[in-house]
Amino acid sequence: MDFDFDSDHIALEAGLDQLLAKYRGSLPVGSAAALQENPAIAASLRDAGYFDIEREMGATGAVMLIEAVAKLPYTLEVAASALVAPKLSKQPLRGPIALSQGSLATPTRFLPQAGSALMADGNQVRAMDLSGCKVEALTSQFAYSYGRCAAADITKAPVLPGVTVGQLQQWWQIGLAAEIVGAMHSAIDLTVEYVKNRRQFNRPLGSFQVIQHRLSECTVLLHAARLLTYKAAWSGEPTDAALAATYAQDAAVRVVYETHQFHGAIGLTLEYPLHYWTNRLRRLQGELGGASQQGSRAAQALWAA
Amino acid sequence: MDFKWTTEHDAYRQRIKDVLKKHLPADWAQKSLYDNGSDFTVAFSRTFCPILAQEGLLIPHWPKEYGGGGMDAFHHWILNEEMWAEGEPRAYQYMSINWVGPAFIKFGTEEQRKVHLKGITSGAISYCQGFSEPNAGSDLAALSTRAENTGSSYVINGSKIWTSAASFADYCILLVRTGLQGRGGITVLVVPMDTKGITVRVIPSLQGARAIHEVFFDNVEVPLSALLGEQDKGWGVVTQILSNERIGAPRYALTWRGFNRGIELLKQHGRFKDTDVQAAAARCQGALEAAKALALRVIDGRVKGKPADAETNVARYAAVMADRSVCEFLGNYVPDFIFAADEPMLASAYKRTASIGIAAGAAEVQLNLISRNLLKMPREE
Ligand SMILES: Cc1cc2nc3c(=O)[nH]c(=O)nc-3n(C[C@H](O)[C@H](O)[C@H](O)COP(=O)(O)OP(=O)(O)OC[C@H]3O[C@@H](n4cnc5c(N)ncnc54)[C@H](O)[C@@H]3O)c2cc1C
Repeated sequence: MDFDFDSDHIALEAGLDQLLAKYRGSLPVGSAAALQENPAIAASLRDAGYFDIEREMGATGAVMLIEAVAKLPYTLEVAASALVAPKLSKQPLRGPIALSQGSLATPTRFLPQAGSALMADGNQVRAMDLSGCKVEALTSQFAYSYGRCAAADITKAPVLPGVTVGQLQQWWQIGLAAEIVGAMHSAIDLTVEYVKNRRQFNRPLGSFQVIQHRLSECTVLLHAARLLTYKAAWSGEPTDAALAATYAQDAAVRVVYETHQFHGAIGLTLEYPLHYWTNRLRRLQGELGGASQQGSRAAQALWAA
Repeated sequence: MDFKWTTEHDAYRQRIKDVLKKHLPADWAQKSLYDNGSDFTVAFSRTFCPILAQEGLLIPHWPKEYGGGGMDAFHHWILNEEMWAEGEPRAYQYMSINWVGPAFIKFGTEEQRKVHLKGITSGAISYCQGFSEPNAGSDLAALSTRAENTGSSYVINGSKIWTSAASFADYCILLVRTGLQGRGGITVLVVPMDTKGITVRVIPSLQGARAIHEVFFDNVEVPLSALLGEQDKGWGVVTQILSNERIGAPRYALTWRGFNRGIELLKQHGRFKDTDVQAAAARCQGALEAAKALALRVIDGRVKGKPADAETNVARYAAVMADRSVCEFLGNYVPDFIFAADEPMLASAYKRTASIGIAAGAAEVQLNLISRNLLKMPREE
């Protein structure tokens, strides 16, 4: 047992911290749009080799990357490219990568920018190059870009040999949990700072115990979700992945509610940064069928119903 | 990060399992009812603790010079997990190992260490914790049981409440007021429970036999050598004790076992096919895994010699959430088996989920400490 990162991972953490610092500090407040992308982040991560982190530093390294990026106010596809694809495909796939449960006719995250898609098809997984695909970009409020491609014939895409849908789900779940953890972390940090400074009734809101307690509970959920996510990355056990995703998706719902509640009206504006994380958490809470489906899958695997 | 036990840790756990298998009677479930205050368990513990001591399994983690095994704190945790999952065949002796002994090691005189550490390491003596009072629960520093230093002895008057194991413990680690109000005037005394003037009343409870008592002190006189640490400086001892106690007993171990039994019964009776039940079960499993991992992170900190911090309160609160979710699950889906009285382990696990959010510091007090020490929230002005 060892709950600290080893020296390589500590160095990775520091490297990421340094590289991402400038994007963290500059919250585009005031002129904020619902969707924030910043191609410069992807480019600098790619140049520094971070998208290949899984090969060098395993799933734990990839989760650290996903978590660090998810803390930013910008949206960026990294979970599929840095974790899911390297785990499933020997050939590198053109990024960004969209993940799909089988039909590109449903709104799919990152599809408008995606170079390829990883898709469930029965018990197989297919990797599709999207170059010839006519993607209909959707206008979405919910942080990510979405697209669909009704005409895509997925049966033409090559099957990844020996890869099961269970494996796709497993690494998708871990990436999802890591994204949730990063986004929850930033939303909670922002809210804690806010209630320390916002005064009503001649005192900081953060001195009210009800607010302290509910944010402390969010903090416990965050610590727990994070540890479960790292455990799942470490063990490579499908049930650990499903449990981490179940826990994280449940926690996301709670954290969105509490962080908004304690911001009052300002949290609902696009001129204040909370929405960067809210919108993502709202989308992530229902991914892969949501916490209940994730849980039911975990239960069937754990106790072979 | 590494979530795996070493082969040494695994072998140690196996040794404990073997010893339990050898010494627990075949009808342990029916006799002990997984209740560590039952007559049967307490009597059993009086022979079982010395056996553990002989096997070198009683006190793995204390330094060798004090009669421990000199092993890391994970060994202690493994021991606690296995014992707790069996309903504690050591009765309340685990308290001596978790926090009483360490308090003597840190604050005791040469003489006190000689008597008490020997008694603990041989498994011969046990303690109760006389902290809470009718008007000093969460606000422990408001305690008012008084001890007068007469120059040759302490004379104690007042009462304690919620004291576990008081009717069968040999000594009480007692908090008394010797000075002014507040934390500054508190002193720790070590009081033999057979001293004249002490009366104990068992309070019947939902938690099991002799889990809580009232203890009355009527001109109880003890020698000055009963003092642990310094007079009026007891609060420092208390903080040390509480940090060892909060992540002390791995309560999730019995909860988890009860939960697993619940799943087994649901499957046997064809009631586990419902996806609602499955999802609820996974949520419990996630909460239990989280409680365990967060507790182990605290133990990892102990192994590495880091001072206790708010992670302890985070872990404690996660354990409260885990017990609560399992309580809800069992109550929702297997109430028929809980209440049928032929499932003592399930019933005990279910029943005992009720106390974790209260004993050793209420859940809300853990949240206060997280707010203050981790989130650095402002105090009321
Ligand atoms: C099974 C069991 C065994 C015990 N064994 C022992 C023992 O061996 N020795 C011993 O000394 N004590 C023991 N206790 C007592 C235990 O430590 C106290 O019950 C605990 O500290 C809470 O005190 P209280 O019960 O007086 O509750 P109170 O302090 O009256 O609090 C009641 C409730 O109010 C809320 N609350 C209290 N303070 C705050 C606050 N500041 N902010 C927000 N909410 C708050 C909490 O929800 C709390 O549960 C035991 C208790 C139980 C249940």
